[in-house]
Amino acid sequence: MSLEIKVPEVGESITEVTIASWLKKDGDFVEQDEIIAELESDKATFELPAEVSGVLKIKAQEDDTVEVGAVICEIDEDAKSSESKSEGKAEDKKEEKKEDKSEPKEEKKESSSSGSGPKKTGEVHEMVVPTVGESITEVTISSWLKSDGDYVEMDEIIAEVESDKATFELPAEANGFLQIVAQEDDTIEIGATICKIEVAEGGAPSESSSSDKSSSKSDSSSESKEDGKETYATGHASPAAAKILKEKGIDASNVKGSGKDGRITKEDAENAEKQSAKSSEKESKPSDSGIETEKLPSPDASGNREQRKEKMSSLRKTVAKRLVSVKNETAMLTTFNEVDMGPIMEIRKKYKEQFKEKYEVGLGFMSFFTKACTLALKEFPAVNAQIDGNEMVYSDYVDMSIAVSSPKGLVVPVIRNAEKLSFNEVEGEVIRLAKKARDGKLSIDEMTGGTFTITNGGIFGSMLSTPIINAPQSAILGMHNIVERPMAVNGEVKIKPIMYVALSYDHRIIDGKESVSFLVRVKELLEDPTRLLLGI
Amino acid sequence: MSKYDVTVIGSGPGGYVAAIRCAQLGMKTAIIEKYDTLGGTCLNVGCIPSKALLDSSEHYHNAETTFKEHGINLSNLKVDIKQMINRKADVVKQNVEGIAYLMKKNKIDVHTGVGSFKDKNTVVVTKSDGKKEELSTDKVIIATGSKPVELPFAKFDKKRVISSTEALELKEVPKNLILIGGGVIGLELGSVYKRIGSEVTVIEFMDSLIPTMDSTMGKEMKKSMKKLGMDLKLKHKVTKVENKGKEVEVTFETDKGKEETIKGDYCLVAVGRKPYTEGLNLEAAGLKADDKGRISVDDNLKTEVDNIYAIGDVVRGAMLAHKAEEEGVFVAETMAGQKPHIHYKLIPNVVYTWPEVAGVGHTEEELKEKGTEYKTGSFPYKALGRARASGDMEGLVKVIADKKTDEILGIHIIGARAADMIAAGVTAMEYRASAEDVSRMSHAHPTYMEAVKEACLAATDNRPIHM
Repeated sequence: MSLEIKVPEVGESITEVTIASWLKKDGDFVEQDEIIAELESDKATFELPAEVSGVLKIKAQEDDTVEVGAVICEIDEDAKSSESKSEGKAEDKKEEKKEDKSEPKEEKKESSSSGSGPKKTGEVHEMVVPTVGESITEVTISSWLKSDGDYVEMDEIIAEVESDKATFELPAEANGFLQIVAQEDDTIEIGATICKIEVAEGGAPSESSSSDKSSSKSDSSSESKEDGKETYATGHASPAAAKILKEKGIDASNVKGSGKDGRITKEDAENAEKQSAKSSEKESKPSDSGIETEKLPSPDASGNREQRKEKMSSLRKTVAKRLVSVKNETAMLTTFNEVDMGPIMEIRKKYKEQFKEKYEVGLGFMSFFTKACTLALKEFPAVNAQIDGNEMVYSDYVDMSIAVSSPKGLVVPVIRNAEKLSFNEVEGEVIRLAKKARDGKLSIDEMTGGTFTITNGGIFGSMLSTPIINAPQSAILGMHNIVERPMAVNGEVKIKPIMYVALSYDHRIIDGKESVSFLVRVKELLEDPTRLLLGI
Repeated sequence: MSKYDVTVIGSGPGGYVAAIRCAQLGMKTAIIEKYDTLGGTCLNVGCIPSKALLDSSEHYHNAETTFKEHGINLSNLKVDIKQMINRKADVVKQNVEGIAYLMKKNKIDVHTGVGSFKDKNTVVVTKSDGKKEELSTDKVIIATGSKPVELPFAKFDKKRVISSTEALELKEVPKNLILIGGGVIGLELGSVYKRIGSEVTVIEFMDSLIPTMDSTMGKEMKKSMKKLGMDLKLKHKVTKVENKGKEVEVTFETDKGKEETIKGDYCLVAVGRKPYTEGLNLEAAGLKADDKGRISVDDNLKTEVDNIYAIGDVVRGAMLAHKAEEEGVFVAETMAGQKPHIHYKLIPNVVYTWPEVAGVGHTEEELKEKGTEYKTGSFPYKALGRARASGDMEGLVKVIADKKTDEILGIHIIGARAADMIAAGVTAMEYRASAEDVSRMSHAHPTYMEAVKEACLAATDNRPIHM
């Protein structure tokens, strides 16, 4: 049996179509739904699927113009054996298809009317720089995590702020739209206005309230663009801007674009100055769209001679200032000794597993050194003391500062009452503080009030160093790496794992006798850790 | 011996543009050209003359086929091929004189003769009378371009088996023109002769026309060429081409594997172009071309020798006049210590048939292969008021955008003025515009550009206004 295929209705005003091309030849076997021809109307081109499987008999030729409803071809189903579909089924299929096509349009109409966002209440909440510690009078805005005009929610972190002691995060104090007052890198005083929030009610602007993504997309996307949010094009430099930035040696990611959606204009590029620290990492950042997959020419191949200027973070500035002043204002001296690390290594080897199992922290060197120092400091309290004007302040406790290298620079968090802590408690504190340092989450409190400092240059491979005192403290112990050295033991040469230890101290308050004896005491305690237990 | 900061070998669109930019940047510049006229392939035997003939033949074609519809009746319509070729020659002459003027204006020394290296800082110019002159130079830009590829079994005899160069100089309208190659050059020249009365047969090895462009363009192109009356033999493989004196015989294998022979007045072989580096004596400068004849360069278009650069058809990338121009400027500015920009993916591709075809960015096939999620929107010329008014209703605009971000990733146009319209696509993509951005910009009505806006609307949210 042959099924006649007629030109389908393709739109109200269309009465005839032209056969642009037959994709199958007369006599070809075609599968159901396979596209067999391309038809053209005066408005669009469309494809004609086979309604059933069978052998094609072409009735109208290419370039013929045929009316809607006219027979265009026949498909002989008998050519295909038993599986042939009935006419009825084919008709059903056709109906289904039409319905399919019309559905999305209706959905679109419904969803286009949806969409409710936050409503401004008219109230503006002013946010000021909070008090972050007694001695801190000003902070620097290190980065805004939200852009001007963004919707922010209460307690959402909107900026990172740096003081000379620590970095902290600034949470939003209300729901609403952000108005940035102080810009990135601005230094402002405590209590000064940092931003304003135009208070809004009704929740965050949602991407799309309906499940039909495509239909609501245009609305939400245009909205988000006007908000100044980051889009795929944020930070994209125009051709002229790209050239200028390259010549200045500035990475586009360090320039804030003032163009639409943050695109970098020629003016932005002309005004851009070398400044940010992020550049080197981001230089090779691939563009996400895939459009810029072609590599742009790199700088001259005969060796890069570019220089970069980066602004000092206020933390680094402060550290720099303090290090110089400590060197200028104290009578700093360093004494050395050597420690045979064999016994500690032995103990660690022996109890490592058990310790870890019981306390869930590793048994490191820090606990031994901390404990040894606390014992020695008790015997030589001047090493744990400070000068305050014309007085000397002795502490009967040891708040042990430990120097940690963080991504933002050196920080020195404090282990409180280290003299009272057990080995596992010391190790636990070290881990906790080091993690916080790495994440930039240390508070001012956690970094102030230390009485003595341990620094470990050994983790980077240093064998000897003269550490600088962490003022206002009076002394600092420097640990170093462990190397095997020949040693004379009872008239014999033995290879031993040796660590050189250094004590830098302020000679104004600590005498040579005390400092040297302190270090010898530490050495004794470390070389024979049983003494730690017995306190002798 | 003359001493220069820069010597450019080759005065095509890459070479002369590089020379002008070098001179603008204050370098003492020389340019060497083998032929008597400047401008290279593009001006002398490529873009410009072919466009001159395309326009002439299109006028005739319109007069013959559409004037009546416009209410213009003509009688005794005839082609004067001699005049057509003469006019083309005039256009070329004016253009090359223009280049000569530009050289003078920018104080660039023009040396006529074949340029070759003596060493990396000395270029010898051998004049047509055999006299030699040596130029001492700090830097060299090689811009010697390309020439048509010859098939081993179809050597150009320039009488019956011809290249594009000869096809621009025919003294008669061929009755039968056989074209090997369904790419840009073949289709452009094929349509010239088809319009003025030749029977044109295109034999193409691949299964589509203009295969480097988006497949929709190839499909539409096929329809247009068929409508024009070209005989298109796709998936056919030419095996023999013979000059039989007064005609040429071409033998090929059909798509079904059958061998067939057809006869014609001329066989135009247009299967591509290859870099032209012969005679440069590259070895003397410490350089060599690869097996395809290309000179390898780094991202700054610098060759393996520090002071020598190469641009245009002799280096990797598309063989396009405007690509060579961009590279000419790029090299000149790089030499001057600037850091210029070329976005290779945003160099447009154009075919000057009627309707014209133009594309920029990614094709749908490329994105599929890369696995990028995309969406498309297209709009036919037929639904355009302007197209109806002019009677140019063939064609469509296709916009491809990123599925998530809506960023335009490619624009492909076939239709009237596609070649000029694609510039708007380049601008949009250089600024990383989204399809919605373009659809929210005002487009003058009635214009062909409205089709771009509508296609962008279709890509944004499938909501074109006029469909």
